[in-house]
Amino acid sequence: MPIIEVENFTKQYPLPDSKNETFFAVDGVSLHIDKGEIFGILGPNGAGKTTTLEMLEGLTDIDGGHATIDGIDVQSHPFKVKKIIGVQLQANEYFDNLSLVELLTLFGALYKREIDPSTLLEKVQLLDKAKARPANLSGGQKQRFSIACALVNEPKVLFLDEPTTGLDPQAKRNLWELVTELNNSGMTIVLTTHNMEEAESLCQRIAIMDHGKIVAEGTPQHLILQHAPEPPEAPLHGNLEDVFLTLTGHALRD
Amino acid sequence: MPTKLQLHLSKVFLKIFLRDRQSIFFSLFFPIIFMTVFGFANSGGQDPINVGVVNDSDAVVAAEFVQQLIDNPIFNVTVGVEDSLRGELEEGDQTMVLVLPEVFSNQNLDQDSTELRLLVDAAQVQQLGLILPVLEQTLIEIEREFRNTEPMFNLAIEDVQARSQSYLDFLLPGLMAFTLMQLSIAGSGFNIVEYRRKGILKRLFVTPIQPKDFITAIVLARMSIILIQLAVLIAFAVLILDVRMIGSIVEFFFVVILGTFIFLNLGFCLGSIAKTQQAVILVGNIVIFPQIFLSGVFYPISSMPELIQPIAYVLPLSFVATGMRDIANEGASLLTILPSLLGIAVWLVIGFVLATRLFVWKEVAN
Repeated sequence: MPIIEVENFTKQYPLPDSKNETFFAVDGVSLHIDKGEIFGILGPNGAGKTTTLEMLEGLTDIDGGHATIDGIDVQSHPFKVKKIIGVQLQANEYFDNLSLVELLTLFGALYKREIDPSTLLEKVQLLDKAKARPANLSGGQKQRFSIACALVNEPKVLFLDEPTTGLDPQAKRNLWELVTELNNSGMTIVLTTHNMEEAESLCQRIAIMDHGKIVAEGTPQHLILQHAPEPPEAPLHGNLEDVFLTLTGHALRD
Repeated sequence: MPTKLQLHLSKVFLKIFLRDRQSIFFSLFFPIIFMTVFGFANSGGQDPINVGVVNDSDAVVAAEFVQQLIDNPIFNVTVGVEDSLRGELEEGDQTMVLVLPEVFSNQNLDQDSTELRLLVDAAQVQQLGLILPVLEQTLIEIEREFRNTEPMFNLAIEDVQARSQSYLDFLLPGLMAFTLMQLSIAGSGFNIVEYRRKGILKRLFVTPIQPKDFITAIVLARMSIILIQLAVLIAFAVLILDVRMIGSIVEFFFVVILGTFIFLNLGFCLGSIAKTQQAVILVGNIVIFPQIFLSGVFYPISSMPELIQPIAYVLPLSFVATGMRDIANEGASLLTILPSLLGIAVWLVIGFVLATRLFVWKEVAN
């Protein structure tokens, strides 16, 4: 049963070079994300992944199309939607001078909720850093803390924008475990990534985006069978990265 | 009335601002240094006037006259020969040179009066008006002494103001107004830009918080801090520098609160327009700098060129500074400073309308 339904999303931006012309950052994207699944959006830089998420989160105006989260219209009831989603953005800086506990309490207050910061910190293995400032956390710890902040309202859907970019392998695997754990408790998770291994091992379904469009969608296995280059001998050769490169080409993106 | 959420948020912002010890220290440091310097510079009253005296007479009277001038604290007397003193006068080291002629003595008291020559620099004519009466008074006293006459009148000076107003008394309210403007503009504008750059506004925007809750919280928190900072400055000025506050402190702070609202609003405007830290400092200076010079903070607007006065009078800081000064220096009540309050009210509306127009969550956050 889909919890997120996106029909024909479009977003236009003026071209960086000539202000009079526009290009489609998101060009007719439709998605159906089921309740309780981990859904990955893959794509090279500039493919429109973040813009799609930001349109769903209410951060960016929707130029065309229509979307609902848990039956609530995103465009007409943005504040209702904000109450049931948790968001982790690419930039994850917070107010200086506040400890992790104080920040979590603040985020709780923004949702008018009394929360127990310790329980949340324990969930993301940061209980020993309760009194620390975000500036003193490592990259992996910062990401885990961002997720803790996104959990204060016990969201039905959690959006993670490139959660493992820049993390070392240990921190990356640790974060995957956390995401799997949250998903096991019934939370729907939508994440964007460049990391094929991440998409393959973490996501139940994937959409690959390029130039604002979805070029392929399905389970990792399904995509590999369909799009991986024909192996010379072995029946299932190649991996998701091959699929990705076949679909989006080898050209470098900015 | 602020809601529970707004109060909670203001407490959080208060915590954030108060923990920024460095900026709190420097925001107080500058005005305190400023006041102290002005306080000491003016504590000695007026500087003595440099007078050169050429005594060509060898009479006792002439020597006594010179001694009287030396004893008078208004003058800083140098005795010398005419040529060198004339040189010093031309270079500006002396304000005037007084020449006592050879014939200066009490022998010729009954004859025609003796002529004293006073050499002045035409550029210093303004000061001359102040000095001449003092000089003449000294001469009259000497004359009386020699003629043994009693003065017909005696001028008894009674001070109706309990204490005369020093420049620091004048300066303090203006300096307070200026400080509150700077703290307010920086407190809202600069913070907004910083929060945007760090992506904090974006992060807040994906929670159900309403922009008005966010703005109210920042305004309340900033306001509390600024009131504390100004209270510290006033306490310093009154207790250490002996500056006098004549009017009601409650009414004084009423004007302070209104002024803070104006400049917090203008700060929000700046923060919404300027996208980078550098830009907000530049745009902020466009607002702050002219007002330092044109709002009567350091000297009265009435002493400015007439062409500028109409503009100077309607600047927001002028209304705030004038209102604060009238209360502090003249003990004016809110009723008597109604014109200033009207100006403040107009600027409050302008600031509020602009701030709410320009501070659009979605655009400011991105």
